Amino acid sequence: MNDTKTNGPKILEAIGRNGLLLCYALFALFPLLWMLILSFKPDSEMFGSPFVFHPTLDNFRAVLGQSDFLGALVHNLVISVLAVCLSLIVGVPAAYALARFQFKGREDIAFTFLSFRFAPEILVIIPLYLIYQKLGLIDSYTGLIWVYQLISLPLLIWILRGFFEDISPDIESAAQLDGYTWWQVFFKVLLPLIRPGLVAAALLCFIFCWNSFTFALQLGGGRTQTSTVAMMRFLASDTVHYGWVAAAALISALPEVILAILIQKHLVRGLSFGAVKG
Amino acid sequence: MLLAHPPAASAQGFDWKQASGTTIHVSLNQHPYAEAIIKHLPAFKDMTGIDVQYEITPEENYFDKVTTALSSSSGNPDVFMTGIYQMWDYASAKRMEPLDQFLNNPAMTSPDYNTSDIFEGVFNGGKWDLKPGSPSGTGTLYSLPLGFEMYSLGYNKKYFDSKGIEVPKTFGDLVALSKKLKGWNGPGSYGIAVRGTRNWATIHPGYMSVFTNAGAKDFSIKDGKLVSELAEPVSVDITKQYATMIRDGGPPGWSNYTWYQCGADFGAGKAAMLLDADSLGYFTAAPGAAKESSNLAFAPIPVLKEGTEPTPNQWVWQLGMNSSSKDKKAAWLFIQYFTGPDHVKWAALNAKLVDPPRQSAWAQPEFKQKLSAIPGFYETFQAQIKNTSVKFTPQPFFIQSTTEWAAALQKIVLSGADPDKTMKDLSKRIDKDTSKLKLN
Amino acid sequence: MRPYLVLAPAFLLTIGILFPFFVAIYYAFTDYSLRSSEYSMVGISNFKDTLTSEDFWHSAIVTVKYAVYATGVEMLLGLGIALLLNKDSILSKFLRLVLIFPLMIAPVIGALIWQLLTNPSVGLLRLPLAWIGLGEFRWSADPDYALFSIVLVDVWIYTPFIIILVSAGLRSLPKSPYEAALIDGGSAWFVFKNLTLPMLSPVILIALVFRFMTSLQEFGIIFALTKGGPGDRTMNLAVQSYNEAFPFYNLSGAIPTLLLLWALIYAVCFVLIGFWRKAQKTASGAA
Repeated sequence: MNDTKTNGPKILEAIGRNGLLLCYALFALFPLLWMLILSFKPDSEMFGSPFVFHPTLDNFRAVLGQSDFLGALVHNLVISVLAVCLSLIVGVPAAYALARFQFKGREDIAFTFLSFRFAPEILVIIPLYLIYQKLGLIDSYTGLIWVYQLISLPLLIWILRGFFEDISPDIESAAQLDGYTWWQVFFKVLLPLIRPGLVAAALLCFIFCWNSFTFALQLGGGRTQTSTVAMMRFLASDTVHYGWVAAAALISALPEVILAILIQKHLVRGLSFGAVKG
Repeated sequence: MLLAHPPAASAQGFDWKQASGTTIHVSLNQHPYAEAIIKHLPAFKDMTGIDVQYEITPEENYFDKVTTALSSSSGNPDVFMTGIYQMWDYASAKRMEPLDQFLNNPAMTSPDYNTSDIFEGVFNGGKWDLKPGSPSGTGTLYSLPLGFEMYSLGYNKKYFDSKGIEVPKTFGDLVALSKKLKGWNGPGSYGIAVRGTRNWATIHPGYMSVFTNAGAKDFSIKDGKLVSELAEPVSVDITKQYATMIRDGGPPGWSNYTWYQCGADFGAGKAAMLLDADSLGYFTAAPGAAKESSNLAFAPIPVLKEGTEPTPNQWVWQLGMNSSSKDKKAAWLFIQYFTGPDHVKWAALNAKLVDPPRQSAWAQPEFKQKLSAIPGFYETFQAQIKNTSVKFTPQPFFIQSTTEWAAALQKIVLSGADPDKTMKDLSKRIDKDTSKLKLN
Repeated sequence: MRPYLVLAPAFLLTIGILFPFFVAIYYAFTDYSLRSSEYSMVGISNFKDTLTSEDFWHSAIVTVKYAVYATGVEMLLGLGIALLLNKDSILSKFLRLVLIFPLMIAPVIGALIWQLLTNPSVGLLRLPLAWIGLGEFRWSADPDYALFSIVLVDVWIYTPFIIILVSAGLRSLPKSPYEAALIDGGSAWFVFKNLTLPMLSPVILIALVFRFMTSLQEFGIIFALTKGGPGDRTMNLAVQSYNEAFPFYNLSGAIPTLLLLWALIYAVCFVLIGFWRKAQKTASGAA
């Protein structure tokens, strides 16, 4: 109705908005773009002219061909996927319970979950190592999947708790009045409503598990070395090989990128009925 | 074809199969010397019947991993790569198995093993009597060398020749030349690449070699106590000179530099000279490794007084045995095989074992030929080897003292801290730790 | 009983960590180290040594500065970018995906790439800096700019974390209050201040809690870039206690520092979670 009046400011606003976004995008993406370039650079041209060089696949060949890097990728994939799945299975109900039920010690329990992230990794790593040693969990999938719960569960529970609390209990009771069982309500009504939060939390959990270094280094071993640890091996042996590290880091980031692409469409709320908030 | 196992060993009646059927765990650092081991594992298995499970850890984190594993007393790994300084700690903590009992037992050690073939200074690096302050090379043998490195001076020969620059013979010349060469090859280029991170690894290469050459010492024993000598005038004086060299002619990003940035700048034509490991120089000068690879050459470390001989410090990659190992016989066979003459000779020719610890490996004409591709490399090694040894005083606070030492050097170079006061403070800090040590 | 049963699996899965935690507290009262297999009780002397050491207080200040700068910049930047991205244009959709890539690179590698970019000899940023007369800028190798440089890398890596969370929050805001506000003719700022911000503040606070507590513990980025140098300029509690526990083999000497760091994080989170509770109540009643 007032199109003509706001046209000028709207264009200015669009320029401002996109200008700011592009500035940030340059900052965020240039180092990655440069990493991509490095991964195609031969060692002898690594520090010469930045953008003119003879591209080569040697770095990728070195990473994938002459080493067990693919194995490390598989280790990381198995461990991180299973760790996040486990977190989802136990964490989503926990987050729901903390959001919905009134019970004694609720806030204390919720805070305890958060507090699992307070301890710096080096504080617990030595006692944890000794315990794992006794339990035979050193260098095992089980051991790493378990310890990764410390990384993913607190994050998942606390993000989802907020999203669950945003849903009015009325929606649940209305759906139950319509004859749905509680499980149906949970899967058909609640989960779609928290979907943006759920996929964002799952993505973050996956990223943090995938990139976890200290636990993977100390509690892992030859049979479970993850790609995050293994790629540091490419940095330096005889001379520095920035091209190798860049190639390894890019390959290692692929699963995260694929996951992020897959979940993009779920970052939008599934159902859009009116009063989500109470 | 190169993997064929050495026939001589079994011919003399030594039983390489005595631990056949066992499995041992080996912890390796990501390094060319470890790659040589991995290449030869099938041959080792053929010869001994021992299965080897190994794990390779990135260098930055390698010793953390070994420390944790050893302190758990689990016996895994059975064998691990170590350095001399780490051995001082692990052996003091009784985490390492003395090796003399195996070495001196004819049933356990092949007559071919021949320790006198190993360079004396390098072999001695594996021995210590665990008494803080008593020199390296006395007492029990805890580790045997896989390969080592000494510190030498690399320079861009093409540039030096084109400008008629002479390779510096004295440290004074080196400091002056480093300053002069700032900007020699365009913006960002500088005279000499040396390490500078806040880490023990900054102290032990060029700095310690020059420090020793100046007649300075890290410790002395006074009244039954290990006392830091770092605040002595001779120590402060050489530190000032070294700091001047870094400030005027070192890398602009010096405090972030460890060996690989130094090598990268040297290879890229950003640093005119390199004061670091000869093996790093060698890898940088290998064909195709870097832009300037074919233009690099090597010379002995400049000395403080003209006419004297350089005194390079050394780093030795060794193999040691976990004292909790449950399969010590197999572990010893592994150590024996991979530090023995046949593997070392083979690796010198066919893998990247640049500084083999055995004279027999150096005597191979093919090896000399291989090295002669790089001007001055072989000659520098021959000129320096007899004075190459560990220049630090063995003591279990080594990593701590040298890390603090590096922090002090950073303060002197970058924050303009007063060298006398900074070295005095450093000395006090170190004394506070070492005063806890009992010397007998 | 029902809520406890639902919570039980998650709790049992993570409660195991309390055991190593208590073992660590026990070690703090001993002279346990990786140096020797024997150890004895030493009372509170480790705590006394820690609290009387200048190094500890210096590192504590660095720790807090680092966390406040990094988290502060990330929150503002992340919130701003998420708001700018909250449009259904193709550009926004594309950027929502690619702008979170820095988080996907392992932090150590991210630090490495930045170290290479900012290397004053061979780094790519030397060229554009030289054009504006800053060719000699040494980034994290300069004592005066080291903290700035490492915070910059932290911002680069973790701003996407805020973007992801705030975007998810924005995407699940209800539409009806906005429609009402539009009909009332509220300005964009008015809508943001009175509608978006209150409804978004719980998720913003959760993002803040997680970011603040992890930046107080930051080890990887600092260790990869400066190891606490030059001198002690960037030495925080995590790097200091790592040095003490691992390379210096003195685990029991490092634990008091780590416990005090733990207590600091506990206190900060306790306060922030209190705010969260309030914000959550307001948000639930906002519409």
